[in-house]
Amino acid sequence: MFDVNDFILKKAKELGFGDVVVLSHETERRQVRFANNEITVAKNWHERKVELFVELEKRVAGTSITELSEENIEKTLKTLLSNLKGMSPKEDYYGIAEGPFEYRDIPETFDKAIVELDEPNEYVETAINSALEEGAKRVAGVLYTDHDKIYLTTSNGVEGFDEGTGIEISVRAFIGDLESGHGTNSSRVLKKFDPEWAGRKAGEIANLARNPEQGPEGKFDVIFDPLAFANLLSYMSFMTSAYAAEAGFSFLVNKLNEKVASDIVTIKDIGNLPNGYGTRKFDDEGVPTRETTIIENGTFRTFLLNHSLARKYGASTTANAGLVMPHAWNIVLEPGDYTREELFDEVKKGIYITNVWYTRFQNYVAGDFSTIPRDGIFLVENGELRPIRNIRVSDNLQRILGGIKGLTKESHHVHWWEVNTPVTTPYVLVGDVGITRAMK
Amino acid sequence: MELLEFAVEKALELGASYAEARFEEKKGTSLAMKNGNPEGLSVISDRGMGVRVLADGGMGFASTNVLTKESVGEAVKKAVKLAKAAAKVRKEPIVFSEEDFHSVEYKVKMRKDFRDFSPEEKLELLRKIEEEVKATGVNVPMRYLNYSDQVWKKKILHSDGAYIESKIPRVSVTYNLVVFENGQMEQAPFVQRAFSGGLELIEKDEPWKWAVKDVQALKRLIYEGRKPPEGRVDLVISPEVAGIAVHESVGHPYESDRIFGREAAQAGESFVKPDMLGERIGSEAVTVIEDPTIPNSWGFYLYDDEGVKARPRYLIRNGIINEFLMNREYAAKLGQRSNAAARAINYNREPIVRMANTYLAPGDHSFEELIEDVKLGVYMVSFNEWNIDDRRYQQRYIGREAYLIENGEIKHPVRRPILEITTRALWSSVDAVGREVEFYPGTCGKGEPGQGVPVWMGGAHARLRDIPLRRP
Repeated sequence: MFDVNDFILKKAKELGFGDVVVLSHETERRQVRFANNEITVAKNWHERKVELFVELEKRVAGTSITELSEENIEKTLKTLLSNLKGMSPKEDYYGIAEGPFEYRDIPETFDKAIVELDEPNEYVETAINSALEEGAKRVAGVLYTDHDKIYLTTSNGVEGFDEGTGIEISVRAFIGDLESGHGTNSSRVLKKFDPEWAGRKAGEIANLARNPEQGPEGKFDVIFDPLAFANLLSYMSFMTSAYAAEAGFSFLVNKLNEKVASDIVTIKDIGNLPNGYGTRKFDDEGVPTRETTIIENGTFRTFLLNHSLARKYGASTTANAGLVMPHAWNIVLEPGDYTREELFDEVKKGIYITNVWYTRFQNYVAGDFSTIPRDGIFLVENGELRPIRNIRVSDNLQRILGGIKGLTKESHHVHWWEVNTPVTTPYVLVGDVGITRAMK
Repeated sequence: MELLEFAVEKALELGASYAEARFEEKKGTSLAMKNGNPEGLSVISDRGMGVRVLADGGMGFASTNVLTKESVGEAVKKAVKLAKAAAKVRKEPIVFSEEDFHSVEYKVKMRKDFRDFSPEEKLELLRKIEEEVKATGVNVPMRYLNYSDQVWKKKILHSDGAYIESKIPRVSVTYNLVVFENGQMEQAPFVQRAFSGGLELIEKDEPWKWAVKDVQALKRLIYEGRKPPEGRVDLVISPEVAGIAVHESVGHPYESDRIFGREAAQAGESFVKPDMLGERIGSEAVTVIEDPTIPNSWGFYLYDDEGVKARPRYLIRNGIINEFLMNREYAAKLGQRSNAAARAINYNREPIVRMANTYLAPGDHSFEELIEDVKLGVYMVSFNEWNIDDRRYQQRYIGREAYLIENGEIKHPVRRPILEITTRALWSSVDAVGREVEFYPGTCGKGEPGQGVPVWMGGAHARLRDIPLRRP
């Protein structure tokens, strides 16, 4: 689609725009949804789309174009121009990155076998059957295959192409109304895709969760499964964007170079992570993606930035454009030195939470939130697990990060409906986590 | 229309027993202002077609935004192929309920058509919020404001006779305001005012007045707020709080696709089972209605995406579970007729069972009557943090603006009273409901990929007796 990009750039320059970014997408996406051990619907999406960003004397605008005729492109550019002419400038706009850049292939981000995969239903059946073998009665979930091509052209000399694939599954296994488990698996290459593991994990947890008792409330040592902690880190990733901080949606406001987590916590965004579900070769300005340390041994080092926000704060871009709003690609919590068994042995009396959902904040700048454990929840006492139900984590995000006492060597890459930004995280032990429950 | 007919005919030719083709176009603008700075303009222009079919008892869906016969034909082929392959991993075929179908065209009129106004003129609405908030003298260091408008056009053709054409304009203003006073900080995040209709609705609603009320209440909370009472007290909830509570703990668990487990992988299942129709879930005072047909409502529609005519749905009538939200698939499973709850957010999404405008129906008490015989309690006006488990049974709402009620009078603000309660206990505790209904907009999330649909939530004030209230 570079011919379309070039045409848009040429026309935009003729009309007098300053900075111009043309990001084109060609996507093929398939989905198979299943519930009660059967497929409920199968879907296919085909899309060609151009995302366009233009600037005119510090006035900025963006749009998507899906009808790619020359006539419609010219009409769209003229509409943007007339709209921008009367608008007030964005005074804190400082431009887009200066190209050109060189891009390297990132390992395990493209697999022809996924493009050529005719029929993914066998993976769904594998996941369902492995959950059933573990004792599940009902299995539900969703499988995706992805094939994306992106073409980037900017007025600052950037021309970039990236092609990626992916396959992922999310499986939830049920025994009764109150006994369930969840497993996910995401991979950019077919040979590393493991639907059986996801199904088996979901089934195993559901089986362990039989006959749960009402859970307690108070302060507890809590082991968060990677699936559960990924949810919290995915919410946190939004708060690491400088844009979110300015807009009042981040507990990290005014905390640069301050301690925000325990010493053993190092959190990175890795845009070029091999086999990462959010991995891309370049950001929306064309800057090659990279590894950025957000929190280093507990100290907050940087917000995620694009070129303009970086200039505003006298820093360098972290290659996280989003032209308007920088965002993370793949959040990675560095692993620790515990085995899973050692981590559970650390807990004399605590709780193991395998999954959470519905994380909501009372106050973003303070970080106060609650989230609901779902699927298996267990009391951990002297190495034994006892299933419980109906509890809520009610705490503060910074306090949770500050209370991290142990991390396993084993990490998992998590991406599903509730974990929008992919997260790689170990099992995490947090001290004195606030647990509440309904009193009536 | 020609492409829609082509798609439906082609699907039937390829072996589909049912086919629906849906063209959608959304056009509009979005503007943001952050701490007084215009953040730029977003022009929304999106259109495409989705095709959903039943073949061999399986369901397939495909969409494309390349609107040529070739591309639509390709999408139809894929949808039929996917449906046939899906049928092999099914125990029983999907069947749709019998319904009366119509050929209908309808639209919502705008008295002030937002398409006639420049982005700068729309930005003035946000500037007005900035100015009015500043004029209060309250320190609000972080202000994020957003305006957006869109005209939604749909054309839906079904192989069993429905043709629905609609045009619905939608306009909304959202804000996040952080108040910092006396070394303390409080926040009103994601507050939205939103309607189906023209710019006149936003102007009449005056979102700047809501923003001013919020920052003044938060400032007062910082200076005068005390701990809420703890333990068993009475609680009066506002229409806004009643709205979120009916949405989360009545609307969602009454969605038939949850009840039958189709949403189990994502948004969860439901504590409600098919045999609970007719069972008591709340007090006599509780009636909850779900009504897509409220004029100018954020969740407005007259026909759902399966071509079924919308009507008010009484989910709870005087405390008794009365009906579920249904599409044709689950109406057939229950041996009933659909009540038109099938909605898709865009051409590239399948229609699934959704709410529209859910509210606690009015009772016969004035607001003063609700308050006057409360000895000790809390009046919760607005909320921030809220969530509910995936069976929709254990929920929590934390007050943003809230006041102590003592001996029948509203007193000083209280900080973050927490209502953490089960659904049955919540609706069984209501002993009286107010006379006036108000609505608040929201975006209801469900489905995968996500479908954030516009909804209104609301109701009348309600009094809950003997509620265990928490402190942070």
